[in-house]
Amino acid sequence: MGTIVVQLIISGILMGMVYALVSVGLTLIFGVSRIINFAHGDFVMVAMYAGYLLNQYWGIDPYLGIFIVAPGMFLFGLAIAYVIVRPIIGAPQVAQIFATLGLGLVLQNCALFYFGADFRSVTSIVSGKTFRTMGLSFPVASLVAFAVAVLVVIALYLYLRYSYTGKAMRAVAQDRRAASLMSINVSKIDFLTFGLGSACAGIAGALLLPLMPVYPSVGLNLVIIAFVIVVLGGMGSLWGALIGGIVIGLIENLSAFYIGSDMRQIAYFIVFLLVLLVRPVGLFGVKGSERVGE
Amino acid sequence: MNTTKMRFIDRALGLPGAVALLCLAAVFPIFVSDSYALHFLWKILFWAVVASAWNIAGGYAGQFSLGHAAFFGIGAYASTILFVRFGVSPWWGMLVGGVLAALASVVLARLTLRLKGPFFALATIAFAEVLRIVVVNARDLTGGSQGISIPFKPALETLIFSGRTPYVYTMLILLAAVILLTFLIQRSWFGFSLLALREDEDAAETLGVDTVAMKIVATGISAFLTAIAGVLYAQYILLIEPVTVMGLDFSIQVAVISIIGGMASPVGPLLGALLMVPLSEYLRAEFGGSFQGLYLIIYGALLMVMVIFMPQGLVSAIRQPRSTWARICSISGYQRKRIRRADHA
Amino acid sequence: MLEIDRLSRAFGGLKAVNEVSFTLQRGEILGLIGPNGAGKTTLFNCVAGAIKPSSGSIRLEGAEIGGLKSHRVCRMGLGRTYQIVRPFNNLTVFDNVIVGALNRSRRMQEARLLAMDALQVTGLIPMKDMLAVNLTLPGRKRLEIARALATGPKLLLLDEVMAGLNPTEIEAAIELIRDIRKSGITVLIVEHLMRVITSVSDRIVVLHHGQKLAEGDPATVMNDPAVIEAYLGEDFLA
Repeated sequence: MGTIVVQLIISGILMGMVYALVSVGLTLIFGVSRIINFAHGDFVMVAMYAGYLLNQYWGIDPYLGIFIVAPGMFLFGLAIAYVIVRPIIGAPQVAQIFATLGLGLVLQNCALFYFGADFRSVTSIVSGKTFRTMGLSFPVASLVAFAVAVLVVIALYLYLRYSYTGKAMRAVAQDRRAASLMSINVSKIDFLTFGLGSACAGIAGALLLPLMPVYPSVGLNLVIIAFVIVVLGGMGSLWGALIGGIVIGLIENLSAFYIGSDMRQIAYFIVFLLVLLVRPVGLFGVKGSERVGE
Repeated sequence: MNTTKMRFIDRALGLPGAVALLCLAAVFPIFVSDSYALHFLWKILFWAVVASAWNIAGGYAGQFSLGHAAFFGIGAYASTILFVRFGVSPWWGMLVGGVLAALASVVLARLTLRLKGPFFALATIAFAEVLRIVVVNARDLTGGSQGISIPFKPALETLIFSGRTPYVYTMLILLAAVILLTFLIQRSWFGFSLLALREDEDAAETLGVDTVAMKIVATGISAFLTAIAGVLYAQYILLIEPVTVMGLDFSIQVAVISIIGGMASPVGPLLGALLMVPLSEYLRAEFGGSFQGLYLIIYGALLMVMVIFMPQGLVSAIRQPRSTWARICSISGYQRKRIRRADHA
Repeated sequence: MLEIDRLSRAFGGLKAVNEVSFTLQRGEILGLIGPNGAGKTTLFNCVAGAIKPSSGSIRLEGAEIGGLKSHRVCRMGLGRTYQIVRPFNNLTVFDNVIVGALNRSRRMQEARLLAMDALQVTGLIPMKDMLAVNLTLPGRKRLEIARALATGPKLLLLDEVMAGLNPTEIEAAIELIRDIRKSGITVLIVEHLMRVITSVSDRIVVLHHGQKLAEGDPATVMNDPAVIEAYLGEDFLA
């Protein structure tokens, strides 16, 4: 009995880290540009399909593929930012919500068109391998995913903390006008942040590909989880996304086991609603961020 | 919200125009008896109804809900369960479903009081999804993911009819009622309060508007009407499933139609339905066989374009073509103007 | 009319308003001044219902209003304007003011008439059908006041209405405030510009570090050494 719980907890944390990576992208975009990217999950989906294609046609291992998918998603994010995000910054709320929602619809259905609705999987160099210790067993793929996700988040933290662009991003997140007065090109930062957030989603996608099949609406579930995490951890907070991701990963895994797979969504939805009710800023959120849109 | 002189276009997009369109819809079945055509008309009317109901909370009070499927589903399920299990007429079902939906909306409003914009939308999504999952899992009561099918027993008390025409007329009557209600609200103190609270909640409070009460009432009315539409839907399609009547797709569709048509306008949702329903039917017909998602791609693209260039919807684009065009130019042309405005946000 | 009794409001450990007491008589114009950070806005917000006091009481015509929500306070006869104006952008000027008038009457006909009165007093009739977002700054300030007037207040709270106005506009605003008082409304005005405060107020209350420093008619207060010291180094010659 005890080992099952430990197993569940650890695999929940492993998965949670990947969720955290997805959420980090989302929260970064929100923190800097105050835009909620409803299509974020679909960005992960795009990355997963990209990894799939690289694997199918050029035999590139999904982990190696990260080096292509990540920059690719960055550029993709830049393009989207230029075309869609630029006009909606400062636009009425309805535009901000539905523009990215529409984008998500388009992405999902393009995937449906091109790939069909079937589930597609890849094999990687660690496929089928499990790591066993002390009566616990974990697919190597999820350990790799965890490790890479941790590295990426740490790298991101260091970047935001010590690089000029990273500091500029934090400045814009805190006060747009003041940042522009300090000769920071705010719109360029918006674009870069969106690209960076998309790259995070991309890396997460590449890490998820060996773990789960890809299908057009895989993003839907992910974006909901990402939102729950971001709200729980606090919009705009990196640490919040990290800790929130782990918490939600845990909750999801534990409830899948104890309540049942189809009901497990209820668990984190209820967490979500509770957070919104009790402490809308989340654990580490920027105060007043839940009132965005005013 | 006009106290100025009426131009023709204002009349066309106002009460006279709405009445004209409704009369047109009323005489349509007299000349056309093709089953598919009538079904098509029913669809337009149906979406106009649910979009108009959404509009009361979303367009006027600014509560952009993406969870209206919850209310739709409550109406459909409440009435259907009462009808199929206990033989209760859907006329009562409408009342019960409507009241239950209104109560649910009060719970939702209470949960989301301090939330704005996208956060509010997210909360409504979560709310509707929780309800949907509960319905899927309460198999004994709701038939689970298979749903419930309704036996075909045509009668006035059961609101089931053998031809399509009576269905068209029932939906038409409901639509007329909702549009009329919206017109009345718009000109009343209630409507003004809603618009004020949509523009700036805190400022409205300092002017004596009880924003909490207003939001609850608007959402309650919206939920009630949506639930009634759910009942009529159930008695027409004769099958309800959680994925259709309580799904996110429905919620998004409802909001989109109202937004594209024009929120804060009684006629906007009807216009939206007049545009979107034929468009989706056409796309489905053209590409449906080989590929069902193409229409959604165009749908999504249209949504993006509309919301960026014409966030006030078709109604105001038609009313004020010059400022709409100016807006389109400034967004696509001069990006600097947009970004400077962002620094004010 | 208004009694503020040992009002305090703390934010965490900081006491923004510390046991402030003063009264406002009916029909007078009371100026509230103080250096930046003195607690004027916090006090203002407490009276207006935007924030809850930590302790103390606020009584409007004998009735306790401390801690009540803004719309209740408005119902009881208190109107306020915002320092950074908040017009309902997508509504016309007329509709903006109607919202205020609805506080007095729910009947649209009557509300329209009341709104017209408020527009008349503030000189906004020529602009009544413009969208609020298209007004100039002085226009928006007038709109702010017109809206508050339409609610039929017994007491009007003006929060730094002069900010951003040029000297001519300031004169016009002073005239407007005097007209408002003539119509029987009591006014509490928060302001930075000394010239304005001294010329318009009957009495002045000075806040400093959250506490009442001085109270009295303009001449006395302006010559109070404590007041001068509090402002030492600040140049308010407007």
